[in-house]
Amino acid sequence: MKIIYSHLKTFLPNLNVTPQKLRDDITMIGHFTNFYEEIEGEIVFDLDIKINRGDCLGYYGLARDLSVLYNIPLIIPETNLNSSNNNLPITVTSPDVTRVMCVKISNLKISPSPDWLVKFTKIHGVNSVNNIVDLTNYIMFMYGIPNHAFDATICGDHIIWETNNNKTKEFTTLDGTVLKLSSQNLVISNPSEVLSTDLVGGKKSGTYDNTTDIIIEVAIYNRVRIRLDSKELKTITEASTRLEKDLDPETIPLAFNELASQIIKLSGGHINSKTYDYYPNPISVPTIKYDFNSASQISGINISADFAKKTLTNLGCVIARNNNNSDEAISLVTPPPIRKDITIPEDLSEEIIRFYGYNNIPTNQPVTYKKTNNITPKILYLIEKTKDELVSQGYDEVITWPLIETPVDPKTVIRTENSINAEVIYLRQSLIPSLKNQLDQYSRYKLPNPKFFEIGKIYYQENGKYIEKYALGTYDGQEFKETILDDLVETLHATSLPYIPKVINNSAIELTSQIITLDANVNFTSPQDPLKLIEKYSAKINKNILWSMEITDIFENKYTFRVNYYNCDDKTAKKIHLSTFNLT
Amino acid sequence: MDLNKIKTDYNEKINKAKNSAKLELIRIELLGRNGLINKLFTEIKTAPNPKEYGQQLNSLKNELENIIKEKSNNTINVDSKIENCKLKIVNSFGLPKVGHLHPITITERQLNEVFRKLGFSIYNSPEIVTNEYNFLRLNVPQNHPAMDMQDTIYIKQPQCLLRTQTSTIESYLLQQQSKNLPIRAAFPGCVYRNEKVNRSNHFVFHQYQAVVVDKGVTMKDLIGTMDLMFKTLYGPSVVVRYRCKYYPEVEPGVGPDMQCFNCKGKGCVLCKYAGWIEMGGSGMIHPKVLQMAGIDPKIYSGFAFGMGLDRWTMAENYITDIRTLMGGNLAYKPNEL
Repeated sequence: MKIIYSHLKTFLPNLNVTPQKLRDDITMIGHFTNFYEEIEGEIVFDLDIKINRGDCLGYYGLARDLSVLYNIPLIIPETNLNSSNNNLPITVTSPDVTRVMCVKISNLKISPSPDWLVKFTKIHGVNSVNNIVDLTNYIMFMYGIPNHAFDATICGDHIIWETNNNKTKEFTTLDGTVLKLSSQNLVISNPSEVLSTDLVGGKKSGTYDNTTDIIIEVAIYNRVRIRLDSKELKTITEASTRLEKDLDPETIPLAFNELASQIIKLSGGHINSKTYDYYPNPISVPTIKYDFNSASQISGINISADFAKKTLTNLGCVIARNNNNSDEAISLVTPPPIRKDITIPEDLSEEIIRFYGYNNIPTNQPVTYKKTNNITPKILYLIEKTKDELVSQGYDEVITWPLIETPVDPKTVIRTENSINAEVIYLRQSLIPSLKNQLDQYSRYKLPNPKFFEIGKIYYQENGKYIEKYALGTYDGQEFKETILDDLVETLHATSLPYIPKVINNSAIELTSQIITLDANVNFTSPQDPLKLIEKYSAKINKNILWSMEITDIFENKYTFRVNYYNCDDKTAKKIHLSTFNLT
Repeated sequence: MDLNKIKTDYNEKINKAKNSAKLELIRIELLGRNGLINKLFTEIKTAPNPKEYGQQLNSLKNELENIIKEKSNNTINVDSKIENCKLKIVNSFGLPKVGHLHPITITERQLNEVFRKLGFSIYNSPEIVTNEYNFLRLNVPQNHPAMDMQDTIYIKQPQCLLRTQTSTIESYLLQQQSKNLPIRAAFPGCVYRNEKVNRSNHFVFHQYQAVVVDKGVTMKDLIGTMDLMFKTLYGPSVVVRYRCKYYPEVEPGVGPDMQCFNCKGKGCVLCKYAGWIEMGGSGMIHPKVLQMAGIDPKIYSGFAFGMGLDRWTMAENYITDIRTLMGGNLAYKPNEL
């Protein structure tokens, strides 16, 4: 999510750190920020907000975190709204509405937005439309709660939040997309038609140049409903990404009042109804029994109870004495309603530790050796031993894809349902077809003497169950063989092999060109040491093109060398070959 | 911006690139999605003569693409490390040839060795699993947005799937060993994500995870042990920071970031200008996760951390295409004796 530094100051007027420091600090407390950049004279951060922190999908939630971190006051803009006696005939019949607030504003004037607002929406990736639409977006980004303005002349005052119940089958959105609605979708209608879904507005839900009366709404719904609707209608919007998180209904009045007063400020209208507030089940915030020593116990470092209490208080937690417990350290903590993610003592500890600073935990004290029960499955010893044995016999290890194109036995094959790699949808039933492909690949590069193996899982169905077993597949230069290791392991006493030798051989190469094989016969006057000969000749060739060199034959004093070149073309290989062995 | 200057500057840079890895970095910086050329294209609107500017930019783009292509055909696909390594004698004359372990296996063994020395067992569990082990037991309830954090390959939606993370092995481990405490276990494993295969993404990749459950386990134990693992892989001078990060199966959560080895924290294309590279995830095992496995979180606590192995292994072997790592054109120089 984009954050403009200067707008963060709306809530934190005393914020005064360099952008670099803010980026690092905000990352350390849990909101990863790659970098900041300057866009149209503004410093803009790009934050990765995790799904548990729906509150931080707005400047307000982030500012709350920063006010604790920097110990500076959080200021909420003051609003002062008039009221009118008209009741709005709004109804909510859907069980999925958590809270909705509405009010009518009349005699306003639609106009282009002022420069600051145009810039704000543009930086947030939204096109500027007019002063009303831009303000609804502004409030969504500032408070993290989606909202909307309906033209009251077009839509009427009787707005209804209801379950679609097959009333409307097709719905055209503001941008002309046609959505097929199902009966469970949550919709916002008037008595004659659907005006908007919970995710996106319809053709009649906009505001236009001649709009003078609007009804504004700020609402939060059951997040599961939003998630299901978003998946079903294949629609993801700025609103849906927020509404599918746990948002705070108690923040709605703040966003609502700010929206109404900004609209009046920029468009000149006046409030023309009573505020409608539907909030049937005010949320209950859990009270958590908390031991102020917990943060120290979990972190492993000493964090004072005073620091812990101060941090939680600054976060907006209410701390009360636990009268049922004589232990002074144990209190009852009620987190602020906006922090839906805090429900258990460990959540409170995380808050204390992250503001204390993860970087205060030493990094040089790992766990030390402790004897515990060895629960390593036998099969893993067998696999390690088998790999070592095969490597010592000259086999190279390969890893191939577990998903393949063609099944060996279509009756028992396991098929994936949704693989986006449409050409590989079956789990392999044998390693051999994959090893054959590997051999084809090696042949294409003319790799000399390929000899290789793979130990990997094979999969099949049996009596309605999914079976997976470790298999060993080998190619010894002539034929392919396969063995099921799981079947072998029971007959072996593999746990008697606790010591596994360390094999380190970093010589894996990505093949990018064919390997070129050239022979050379060299005559000497006396017998030679073959190892020294190879040392001598291989030193003459650039290591980046020499794949291997060996002596394949010695007849009297004639030595036959076989050299494999790679990373070069035929011509270069021949030229180097001739000059290395002084051939003409 | 002066297009001619860009051309001369990059021409020189490209010519100086000694190997394909460096050349690839230049290519990304210049022609990648967030590269310089694309950035310049966004400035067309504000240019005094947009049409002419657009044409110049297009021809610059084509020219640079050609230069890079030509250079890449002539660039040896190895890095200085391989150039400098001593090529030992290759010989099949009377001596047996030794084969090679796959680079992933080598990385896994390096880590297994560290953890075995600390008294860890190595563990494993099935790859075809139910959503119970992949999500529910890891504190991700049905229809929770956390399920969207991973693109899952299903065998039968929504119950049966290919495991998306090594934490799934942790679900099995905690359940199966809940009466056999304390637990120390580490596990390499391949995991699946529904991603299109291309040079930097694959549907199967390799992760490594370690879990400890005991009395009085702390974040200090977690961070110290994780740091030991990074030092094993990257050497003693590696700089890693540990920060707050969310995962449903842990509380508190810890995210390790390694200081970018390319720019030393200054910010570059490789680290997306963050100066740091995210290395995986970890934290103190969530009390609900312990409880679901039948372990009393009032008596026992634990930590878990995991990281991907493919990128590190690719970097170590100068492999630029993830497809090479699995069933691709990976081969071994027969040079050890």
